[in-house]
Amino acid sequence: MNETGARPRRLELGIGAAAAALLYLLPTAGFSDYVMAVATSACAYCILAVGLNLVYGYTGLLSLGQVAFWGLGAYVAALAAVDLKWSIWAGVLVGGVIAGISGIAVAFSSLRLSRHAFAIVTLIFALLMQLIARDWSEVTRGPLGIPALPQPTLDLPGLGRFVFDTPARYYVLMLTLALASIVVVYSIVHSRIGRALVAIRDNEALAESQGMNTLHYKLLAVGVSAALAGLAGGLYVFHLSVVDPSIFDFAYTEATVIMVIVGGPGCFWAVIASSIGFSILPEALRVTDRVRYVLYGAILVAAMLVMPKGIGGLLQQRRIAAMRPRPGQGGT
Amino acid sequence: MELQYLLQLAANGIVIGSVYALLAIGLSLIFGILGVVNFAHGEFYMLGATATYALVALLGLDYWVSIVLVMLVAAAIGIALHDLFLKRIGRHEFERSMLLTLGLAMILQNGALAIWGADPKFVRVPALSGLISPFEVRIPLTRAAAFAAAIAGLFGLIYLLHRTRLGQAMRAVASNPTAASVVGIPANLIARATVAVGLAMCGLAGAALAPIYTVHPLMGTLFVFKAFAIVIIGGMGSLSGAAIVAFALGIVESTVGAYVSLSTTEGIVFAVMIAVLLFRPLGLFGRGLRV
Repeated sequence: MNETGARPRRLELGIGAAAAALLYLLPTAGFSDYVMAVATSACAYCILAVGLNLVYGYTGLLSLGQVAFWGLGAYVAALAAVDLKWSIWAGVLVGGVIAGISGIAVAFSSLRLSRHAFAIVTLIFALLMQLIARDWSEVTRGPLGIPALPQPTLDLPGLGRFVFDTPARYYVLMLTLALASIVVVYSIVHSRIGRALVAIRDNEALAESQGMNTLHYKLLAVGVSAALAGLAGGLYVFHLSVVDPSIFDFAYTEATVIMVIVGGPGCFWAVIASSIGFSILPEALRVTDRVRYVLYGAILVAAMLVMPKGIGGLLQQRRIAAMRPRPGQGGT
Repeated sequence: MELQYLLQLAANGIVIGSVYALLAIGLSLIFGILGVVNFAHGEFYMLGATATYALVALLGLDYWVSIVLVMLVAAAIGIALHDLFLKRIGRHEFERSMLLTLGLAMILQNGALAIWGADPKFVRVPALSGLISPFEVRIPLTRAAAFAAAIAGLFGLIYLLHRTRLGQAMRAVASNPTAASVVGIPANLIARATVAVGLAMCGLAGAALAPIYTVHPLMGTLFVFKAFAIVIIGGMGSLSGAAIVAFALGIVESTVGAYVSLSTTEGIVFAVMIAVLLFRPLGLFGRGLRV
């Protein structure tokens, strides 16, 4: 079930706008560069998680290749800036478009078979991208990648040139893209299209029998989420200032999947909250990557066994149960 | 000379292909009977190789005895895997099964890295240090042994599936779970046996390749992706299709890989898989049944 209607939309938007304003004020609080870098990566993860939630949570298609679109956007933006001398903004935009188109292509080829094939093909596509990045060294510079990427600048009329050179300034940039992604996905899932996506997830045969062209909706969802991932990757790579094949690391996919699963697939705000939580958690825990991924794996296994609908799903079930006159079973 | 070289490469490819076949068939079998895509398949292969290293290199056990031991332990782990995790997942909960086994793979792989470190380990089997050279093609004994072990495993599997009551029951569940339960086949026991057999094949594959490749916590990752590709190209649920594609992949990798880099070959494999899905969505040997 979707959240729509369960609570007044206006309140939701008001809280969202207030939170966004507060987040923009974060750099003025005088946090260290390290904290701002963590906040920047939290914004990037938030975009990935919101995009995956659109595809998996609302449409029911498990994409294990968001990292492919993310890395594709990163490489396109970096190459456009370094080799073609394009402005960074144009490169990022083109990277997002190319990522979106490749997402649609991957989805089109695999969804002809089944949603199972979609999961596996997106996964293999991510591997293929990493192999290409490593091997096509004439273009991608091979395993060492492209170092010393330029810093984005913005010429504001009358205000002079603004350079995004510190983590705090970069955070503002990433936050803007994250908020834009949230707005885009929010308006999709709360529109007629969003209801169509949920209908496809819950009963595709029934949706088709109502005259819905389900393939178009599925391609739209995958295309939007791939484009968002591509934009995020393209923008984030200038913060890293280097792009190499590790941008396609499967660990990004694993982390994003965990954020969506624990937050609750199909729960809009819960996934955003869990993406922020899981971006901060490893920094707070200060454990090695190995131990962290063992923990993530254990969380994933436990979530699948105990609460496959995530924390958001549990809360939603409670709310629905509370609305019933007598205790019955929760929503689906 | 050129032909000689090609034969040499093909021989190497057949050896690797036989091990791919073990992994892909195990994956296909578990998918066919439980509806579970086992993401952790490659990690169990890695554990099989690591266990072989422990038995042969550290404890000094005989190689063949070690293979049997590894397979037995793997089968026992398979029973535990089924009873603890896979049993709780319904046949049609595809995404849930994939995410659950992905979590297991993360635990196993990163746990192995945390415990044993990333250094590659070598398994030396003194008894297999020589060469055999049929038709002037020189094959190291380790590869010949791996091939023998893999072929024995494959024939054992064919015998199990086609000549025993358990195998008949497994095929019945794979082709129609409802009808199988109607005639009184205990689906739960069959599923448990399937996971045990699939993991024993992983153990065998790991043990067979341990003396050829280095043993390393990340060795399973690429293998499971290749096994996925094999299963998709061969047609999901088609065991013979998986076997044919596995051998073909081994040969192509070995021969083409001699002329271009290995990762280019891997890239070609994955691209072929996407192309196959595009033009023959049921796989080259698909049974015409959508899964």
